[in-house]
Amino acid sequence: MTGLATVMLSVIDTGEQITFWICGSLALIGALGMVLSRKAVHSALWIAMTMINLACLYMAQGALFLGMVQIIVYTGAVMMLFLFVLMLVGVDSSDSVVETIRGQRLAAGLAGLAFALMLIAVISRVTLGDVGTQGADAVYGGNLQGLAALIFGKYLLAFEVTSALLITAAIGAMILAHRERIEPKKEQKDLSKERFLSGEHPGSLPPPGVYARHNAVDTPALLPDGTLAENSVPASLRARGAIRTVDRALGDEVQQLAAGDGSLEGEDLR
Amino acid sequence: MNGLIALVPIPTPNMDLGQIAPLEIVFGAALISVLVEAFVRREGRRRVQLVLVFASLIAAVAALVGLAGTRTLTAQASVAVDGPALFMQGTVLLLAIVGALLIAERSIDPAGDAFAPRASALPGGREERELTAAGWSQTEVWPLFLFCVGGMLLFPASNDLLTMFVALEVLSLPLYLLAGLARRRRLLSQEASLKYFLLGAFSSAFFLFGTAMLYGFAGTFSLGGIADALSGNAGDNGLVMLGVALLAVGLLFKVAAVPFHQWTPDVYQGAPTPITAFMATCVKVAAFGALLRVMYVALGGVRWDWQPMLWIIAIITMLVGVIVAIAQTDIKRMLAYSSIAHAGFILLGVIAVSEAGIASTMFYLAAYGFATLGAFAVVSLVRDSSGEATHLSQWAGLGKRSPVVAGIFTLFLLAFAGIPLTSGFTSKFAVFSAAIAGGATPVVIVAVFASVISAFFYARIIVLMFFAEPAEEGPRVVLPSAFTALALAIGVAVTVLLGVLPQPLLNLAQQAGIFLR
Repeated sequence: MTGLATVMLSVIDTGEQITFWICGSLALIGALGMVLSRKAVHSALWIAMTMINLACLYMAQGALFLGMVQIIVYTGAVMMLFLFVLMLVGVDSSDSVVETIRGQRLAAGLAGLAFALMLIAVISRVTLGDVGTQGADAVYGGNLQGLAALIFGKYLLAFEVTSALLITAAIGAMILAHRERIEPKKEQKDLSKERFLSGEHPGSLPPPGVYARHNAVDTPALLPDGTLAENSVPASLRARGAIRTVDRALGDEVQQLAAGDGSLEGEDLR
Repeated sequence: MNGLIALVPIPTPNMDLGQIAPLEIVFGAALISVLVEAFVRREGRRRVQLVLVFASLIAAVAALVGLAGTRTLTAQASVAVDGPALFMQGTVLLLAIVGALLIAERSIDPAGDAFAPRASALPGGREERELTAAGWSQTEVWPLFLFCVGGMLLFPASNDLLTMFVALEVLSLPLYLLAGLARRRRLLSQEASLKYFLLGAFSSAFFLFGTAMLYGFAGTFSLGGIADALSGNAGDNGLVMLGVALLAVGLLFKVAAVPFHQWTPDVYQGAPTPITAFMATCVKVAAFGALLRVMYVALGGVRWDWQPMLWIIAIITMLVGVIVAIAQTDIKRMLAYSSIAHAGFILLGVIAVSEAGIASTMFYLAAYGFATLGAFAVVSLVRDSSGEATHLSQWAGLGKRSPVVAGIFTLFLLAFAGIPLTSGFTSKFAVFSAAIAGGATPVVIVAVFASVISAFFYARIIVLMFFAEPAEEGPRVVLPSAFTALALAIGVAVTVLLGVLPQPLLNLAQQAGIFLR
């Protein structure tokens, strides 16, 4: 008779009822989506939806501050941080869905269902003392004032001890992620020494050759003795064997050209 | 709407700082300890931290002694300063001092203390080897330890569910971290940490859910307020039943009662041994303190509803603990299951619902705590080249090679089994008689049966140590520094003393009286 639903129907006006049914079902859909979606990012977005709808419900019941905090802190800050972490870890990494214990998922589902039925059965028959947000707000002249009186009055110690939690969390993050430098930072001099001692080419590599008809990156430069400078071509091209052959003028053709023999003009220099 | 709200002044909160002095000292020291990490040079940090930790813990004990006999609610009635709270806090502090001795030890492992040189270094990687060679250590362990102790002091003294929840988190969070910092077998340690964290968060959620249900029923978080609402209520208490059940899940998880014990063997095995010792003792004390307070103060009015539930849980906890312990081949896992069984024995004191129940529970916790710290200290001494030798087969013939250490371990095992002239006998006798007086005779019969089974597997280890041939390349017992030696000496002394002369502590526990509402 005096079940929760009846109490709600008698106290709540139509607008709030409509809000309840819309936001309530959306929150539920979000929660289901969070559990059922395969990708972590989707899960995170689903839960953000649930949180926003819960915030709407809080506000509809007159808990304005709580609603705003829910949106700003949970949906805005915490969930977005969560998304950042997911992005850092890698969006692609999806969890293994293989059951390590056989029948675990079925058992968990049944247990969850039983728990939900128990909660519904109990809560739907409950009668609540009818204080309401309006009554609670009236004591200190407003919602925010009432919360302030509780946080900085009655629950001051709990509020202060919460700082221990935050400090612990910060230290924990430091321990698990921070790497203090062990050896001194390398100066330019050390880096330079290291470069020469390593035995590899110390400076920047020679640029590709520039010829009358070719200057692309696959054209090797020539060393003073006429041999090819292999390292002037990118390693990937070298590995592929895509080094262009260098056109060379033969010695006597050069002599002829120098002597002004025009018969070679227009021919390929091979 | 005139736009201006008539502002009602918020009354200035009244905090009598003297009455929560132990809490303040420990939390204050924890904050200073964080600053030490930031500002003291690496070489000097360990020394400063050690001085700070021991000085603050001893100062907190002194402050607690100064509060003896106080019976009042303080900090806007969110903290109860009464006999049981002071007794529990004293037990936590003394056990924490001994635990800190174990954590401070660094001559057992040739590489240093029991903690990874840097938790962020890859297990088995180059960086880890270099840091180990350079002798680095993670002194952040100390601020975490102090925060944890602070939470443990607040947990059994909280007089409302909100403060209790915050205390629960303050004591749990550092433990999740500390469990993952072992120097040896780091992957196992990290797995333990993650398991403990996930399951612990889950159980906290249950606690919170239960709190919400009870708030929905009573309209207040205060334990006394809930009791008043219960006495003024006729019939229709679905919310209360749900709240009690969910709250109990959260608390029984912390004391490692079956079926909420799944985390215990893995975490006890994976965590660094000093942390396991600290966890197995202090968490139990704090959690039983809170369980007693919630059940007796807030829910005493519905004891006929929760008593049968705790009867069943006590029975299956004792039986599962002792039966599964028989099958264990790892000494740390064996001790974990033994600690589960002991949680069942301690629950006997809770289901008595009497003053004797409170006193016997508190006595049991103190006696069990010192023996457990000692037992884990011995475990940390038996080592081979790869670290602690925890496989039972490696303990064969230990008594022939190191009779003193094996003898000390035997004493602790006898105390666990409840053999006369050890603290275990006195404490078991106390809870059993309290439970019989409270009408729980069937549970006590099961408990006696479970004690007999447990005596079997404790005796098996004693036989293994003294009568089996030593293995060829067996582990050796490392000579500890003064830290562990002192911890062991305290453990032995308390275990024998409480077995031979239990009366002073029993009197103290009985004088503690009942909870203040």
